Amino acid sequence: MSSNGEFNPFDPTGMFTDMRNASMDAWAKAMVQFVNTDEYAKASGQMLDSWLSNSAPMRKVMEATMKQTLANLSLPSRDDVSALSERLTNIEMRLDDMEALLEKYIKLNTKAQRGRQAKTPSQEK
Amino acid sequence: MSNGQDASTRMPTLFDFCDDWQKRTEGVKTFNRLIHTDAKIGQTPKQLIWTLNKARLYRYTPVVPPSERKRIPVLIVFAIMNRPQVIDLRPGHSFVEYMVNKGYDMYLLDWGVPGPEDKSMKFDDYVLEYLPRVVRKLKSVSESDEFTILGWCLGALISTMYAALRPDDGLKNLLLLTAPLDFSDKTAGGFVRWASAEEFDADKLVDALGNVPGEMIDAGAKMLKPVENYVGNYVALWDRIDNPKVVEAWHAMNTWVRDLIPMAGETYRQLVNDLFKENKLMEGTLKLRGEPVKLNHLTANVLNVIAEGDHITPPCQSLRVLDLIGSQDKELLRVRGGHIGIMAGSGAEKNTWPHIEGWLAARSD
Repeated sequence: MSSNGEFNPFDPTGMFTDMRNASMDAWAKAMVQFVNTDEYAKASGQMLDSWLSNSAPMRKVMEATMKQTLANLSLPSRDDVSALSERLTNIEMRLDDMEALLEKYIKLNTKAQRGRQAKTPSQEK
Repeated sequence: MSNGQDASTRMPTLFDFCDDWQKRTEGVKTFNRLIHTDAKIGQTPKQLIWTLNKARLYRYTPVVPPSERKRIPVLIVFAIMNRPQVIDLRPGHSFVEYMVNKGYDMYLLDWGVPGPEDKSMKFDDYVLEYLPRVVRKLKSVSESDEFTILGWCLGALISTMYAALRPDDGLKNLLLLTAPLDFSDKTAGGFVRWASAEEFDADKLVDALGNVPGEMIDAGAKMLKPVENYVGNYVALWDRIDNPKVVEAWHAMNTWVRDLIPMAGETYRQLVNDLFKENKLMEGTLKLRGEPVKLNHLTANVLNVIAEGDHITPPCQSLRVLDLIGSQDKELLRVRGGHIGIMAGSGAEKNTWPHIEGWLAARSD
């Protein structure tokens, strides 16, 4: 092998590895420079934009069809489920606030009870 | 070898070829397994103590007796477009495990995976609805009025906004890891450059897709260093495929990297339009739920950790915040390494973790 840095004519894979390692760094640096150019930023923005524009009509048709199909089957649409989910999260938040209040009062109550218990023996004396 | 000569200089025999062939076959099998299977990650024992929608708050099971534990609990706020298991990749190589062993009461906020129903979630929700409730629960469980937040990447951005908006909540220490906060330099870092191009329309993207798919975010992150991510990563693994330590570490990291999650659409819109393009946080013009986010209101002790080789959050995006916050106790730590490597790389255990622990230890009693 050429792992020890010496040339070995009987190890073509080792020679390939050395060549690969030598070129990989240069290739990586060149690509990093390339993706950090304004031209690349513009081109990728344009590609994304054209993909979104071109796929929009199809997406709209699909959405409308799906909505209609679900309505015909008396099933809720994605929007219905999303709205329901938002309401659930809202309820969760209120429950969380109530739980926190309850915890606070339980702690206060426990503290007060301990205080009363600590006072009782001295009062008995 | 059999004739006593070094195998690298003598003419190879048929046995050498067979041996080599067998090694390579084994290597292909291992490679295939690593690419297509998941390693066990996030194994440090923890308990679920709170949930809200997809968000989960975990408490790591303490291993140090209560008398030896640090008084101030630590809440880890991870990014919203990756799973948080990178802080706990493998037993023996886990930041969380390290901190738990040092006597910290550790908590992890996992934002979860946003579904289509969460597309309207914004930074306003993360900062003002979720995080204050998480803090309330943490204070209740830990019975401490003060706490530390460790925010990483976009988690650091969320934590900074929270710390500026709620300075009286008891936040004592704020640890920012590779925090993307300042986007004034539009040429620094691929994301900001790409998103700042006129041709890039975040509104159109979010209106069309709802949430931004994890695959799209992942492709963007990988394209910042395309050769390393799409080729070099696998070549490096192949070269060391017979080294079990390397293989194990690579498998764990790859498992984390492959676990892609989408980003809530409205959050993405805010990130690109308000932060990347208009730099509103640094300019002092950002408002969440109508409340202005003023960085000079942030008064907690701050350790700002910057990765020198970070291509996702270039150092310049994290530097200026220290000039704008109102904290008296603030420190900058520059670490050699990349965005993830500074906390999960092989050098993290020797450099980043001890420094973070030392800084926190002095401010946790």
